[in-house]
Amino acid sequence: MQLPEAQVAVLRAADAQEDRPITEIAAETSLKPETATGAAFALEEAGLVAVTEEPTERLALTAEGRRYVEAGLPEIRLHEAAREADETGAAIGAVVDAAGLDGDAVDIALANFARKGYGEIERGEVRPASDADPDEDTEAAALAALAGDEEPSEGPFDRLVERGLVTRREETRRLVALTDEGVTALMGGVEAADRVDRLTPELLTSGEWRDVDFAEYNVAAEAPAVQTGRKHPLRQMADRVKNVFVGMGFEEMQGPAVDADFWIHDCLFMPQDHPARTHWDRFALSEPESIDELPPALVERVRTAHRDGVGPDGEGYRSPWDEAFAARLALRGHTTSLTARHLAGEALGDLEPPQRWFSVQKAYRNDELDATHLLEFYQIEGWVMAEELSVRDLMGTFTEFYRQFGITDLEFKPTYNPYTEPSFELFGRHPETGERIEIGNSGLFRPEMLEPLGVEADVMAWGLALERLMMLATGAEDIRDVHGTLVDLEYLRTEEVLY
Amino acid sequence: MPVIDVDPDELRELTGQRLDDEDLLADLFELGVEYEGTAEDGAFKLEFEPDRLDWLSVEGLARALRYNYGEARGVYVPDTNDAEWTIEVVDTPPERPYVTGAVVRGLDLSTTALASLIQLQEKLHATMGRARGKGAIGVHDLTMLKGAPVTGRDDGRGKSLTYTSMDPDDERFVPLESNAEFTPREVVERHHIGTEYADLVTDLPRYPAIYDDIGLFSFPPVVNGRRTEVTPDSRDLLVEMTGTNQWTIDRMLNVVCYALSARGGQIERVAVQYDATAPGEHAGDTLDRPNLETKQKTVAHDRVESVLGRTFDQETVVDCLERSGLSVADTDDNPDSYEVSIPPYRVDVLHPIDVIDDIGRAYGFNDLGPRYPDVSTVGGRHERSRLEDVTRETLVGLGFEDLLNFHLTSEPETFERMRLSPEDDAVGGGRPVSIGEPYSAAYTIVRTWALPSLVQVLENNTHRSYPQHLAEVGMVAARDETENTGVAEHRTVAGVLADPEASYEDARARLQALVRAFGAGLETPPTAHPSFIDGRSGSVVVDGESAGIVGELHPAVLVEHDLELPVAAFEFRLDAVQ
Repeated sequence: MQLPEAQVAVLRAADAQEDRPITEIAAETSLKPETATGAAFALEEAGLVAVTEEPTERLALTAEGRRYVEAGLPEIRLHEAAREADETGAAIGAVVDAAGLDGDAVDIALANFARKGYGEIERGEVRPASDADPDEDTEAAALAALAGDEEPSEGPFDRLVERGLVTRREETRRLVALTDEGVTALMGGVEAADRVDRLTPELLTSGEWRDVDFAEYNVAAEAPAVQTGRKHPLRQMADRVKNVFVGMGFEEMQGPAVDADFWIHDCLFMPQDHPARTHWDRFALSEPESIDELPPALVERVRTAHRDGVGPDGEGYRSPWDEAFAARLALRGHTTSLTARHLAGEALGDLEPPQRWFSVQKAYRNDELDATHLLEFYQIEGWVMAEELSVRDLMGTFTEFYRQFGITDLEFKPTYNPYTEPSFELFGRHPETGERIEIGNSGLFRPEMLEPLGVEADVMAWGLALERLMMLATGAEDIRDVHGTLVDLEYLRTEEVLY
Repeated sequence: MPVIDVDPDELRELTGQRLDDEDLLADLFELGVEYEGTAEDGAFKLEFEPDRLDWLSVEGLARALRYNYGEARGVYVPDTNDAEWTIEVVDTPPERPYVTGAVVRGLDLSTTALASLIQLQEKLHATMGRARGKGAIGVHDLTMLKGAPVTGRDDGRGKSLTYTSMDPDDERFVPLESNAEFTPREVVERHHIGTEYADLVTDLPRYPAIYDDIGLFSFPPVVNGRRTEVTPDSRDLLVEMTGTNQWTIDRMLNVVCYALSARGGQIERVAVQYDATAPGEHAGDTLDRPNLETKQKTVAHDRVESVLGRTFDQETVVDCLERSGLSVADTDDNPDSYEVSIPPYRVDVLHPIDVIDDIGRAYGFNDLGPRYPDVSTVGGRHERSRLEDVTRETLVGLGFEDLLNFHLTSEPETFERMRLSPEDDAVGGGRPVSIGEPYSAAYTIVRTWALPSLVQVLENNTHRSYPQHLAEVGMVAARDETENTGVAEHRTVAGVLADPEASYEDARARLQALVRAFGAGLETPPTAHPSFIDGRSGSVVVDGESAGIVGELHPAVLVEHDLELPVAAFEFRLDAVQ
């Protein structure tokens, strides 16, 4: 029969006639006690040995007890000092000093001195008993024995426990005895199995795994780094935002990154001489320059809204409006162009209220790259269409949305956007630092925007940069580390995951 | 957004309220004015939105607060005196045909009023004036002007100025902040203010000019003459504005007149007399300026309630309107709506919705309270978004690090450094979509393929441990005449394996795992591509359709990017697996 090495050793050390303590077997076989115990249980499971358990009491020295083993019991030291001083009596102070006693040890010495017949104290003098023999002190002997290897079977242990020099501990002692099967196995011959490093397919299929001994590994050690694939942190943030939107009943929009200014600005009732449209940070294209075709009826409605406004006492802008300018192509500066295409029915046909839509897509800005400004950023855009919507609905929706990211205590600062009224900048409480932070821009779309697009219901919308939300959520300070070809792989490999 | 400096003590004094800073800023926040910090001299830096230009001065802001506290109610229109001065308009540049003006008398500019006026002027230029293009303001010391006889008036009364045009080389004057005489052309070429606004006039054959009886005193929209410069001792001012739109400059003038009136100035009208031959839509007209007429909007009560989301009694609405500086006609006849008068300094009110916004600000939007809308809809991801997502998940499962690169890049990165040319009929070839006026040479086109971005990331990370297995699912674009926008945008899937042991087979293995995950068939017949080693690149053919490239990158491409180990790579169009 083949058994693991430790089991072979335990089996051989066990006796059929006598229950032997495992500790004794471990000492004899040079196995660690826990290894011997494990082997004994494995053997018991195989029916080769019987393991019995016996509660025992173990005595052990306390720290004080151990000190007295070295220095002697205080009463003995007092007795010896007294005898050296004068057998007929000496002043107690001098004797205590000579014995090297102080503090509690003085009281202990005096209390036990008389009890054990080492002498008497009279009128401030110590009189040692001449017949007292410290060598016969059973308490000292028991302490010395406990300090040695052998546990003494007899002694004044109750007294020593009382004096706090010894403690008692309950322990289970395991005893091993060979069974008849064990005897049979030994007689049939038992040898130690091989130690193996790796579990191989051959070991498994041949059944040899039963007989091998696996070499122990250092399981506590750090392992080599592993190459991991993981989603980009900003993408994880985008996924989280999308999940929040979908959970709140929003559908996702998609649409072109290169689009006509008509969809990016004119449909949003942005006057053509608005600084955002003439400023050079607009990403106008040189090639191609213009869109082939805009919906002619919509172009006329938008032109009229810009010139004359909408409604009986509406007014338009005192700005020129030129279709060729509207047809110019640019990389969208915001993803509200997608909203315009959806509201106009251009993307998916006419939409009837109620509707909720979102997108998390790139917007572009022709600007200098610095720590907080990128040429490209992800804009989070969301809008709701219903027969009737109020600013309270807007506030309620945003309160819920931002709460999902730990941003609370929303405040709404009235602001100006050409295409929304009322308009609000959103402020909230930073989840970590608690400071007031700007978290987005929002509003109800103006009638001058909705009427030309053919929308008869109310629409509210809001937007913010994904990178901004990411910075708030992770504390990142330089978004160039996050987005683009300057990314540091170390960052991607070690950044904490988002969920 | 404009930021102006406002002395809080001056604001308190003009407002007549003893509020501490915190309460004052909280009230301003509710009106839509954001506190940006405190200047060294203790002034508040306040950020404004460009709709309320009438708030761009301490006087205007104080007026808004006085209204908000109910210290003032309803529309206020200052009294004006009859015109003594006329601006005659003749032979103006057709590119800048309009002018307006007013006289303000009895001012004390010795305190902070002059600084406030200059700040207001600058902010109006930056916003409504469109950097002086649409409207430019000139303010002059009236006592330094000598009026000429008014044309067509034989009683000898009245004084006139002339807005006209001049030859850039045939006139001389001393501009502000200078001691020397310049010709107008020299001003735009050499004078430090002139060069800043040169673009507004250099294309014009004749420059705008305003003369009095002495000569040229203003060169709008560039610079005034030094003769009429306003000083702290000036008491009577001429305010003139020129521009491309009469309505715009008239409104800018109203904002300035209200601010000066709040400083105790008495407004005196000016006649603007357009010659019958003057360009623009006012030829032959005489305009009485400033035009301080109010305008009317009809606001429905139930629209107020539906926008603000609660019921109101009429008294509350009227109170809010009056505390916004608006007036309401008697509501007895028509309980369902309000006839609201809008003061002449408001430039932002185009529609009744703007009046409702005023009611909300006066009531306090944050006092309305949030409410989750009782509207039920079903949410969902777009199909393409789900497709991109599952592709990314599969790549990550194959051990790729997901990247997110810019769509914008340059021609050298896209082509030359990859040994490719836009003329090549190969993945990544084709005419790129180009930016008109790029800010940086590094970002001039939209990328035609994504592999160059991945190779750049490898280039920037040679100090990081290998293997580096990187992938991206993202947008690429190219010219396409068949598209309405002339641009075809695609989602692309690109991957690189930078690894001392990397070979064609490693890229092929991952590519086939990815393609087959979609149940699609993959073939990779040999093909040549300048970025790859000949004989070690194949065309990615998905279900019979050619969609991309797979292979080992050419050593010249690797060396160009400082890479010292082989890179196997692939890129294909995501829609091929759909």
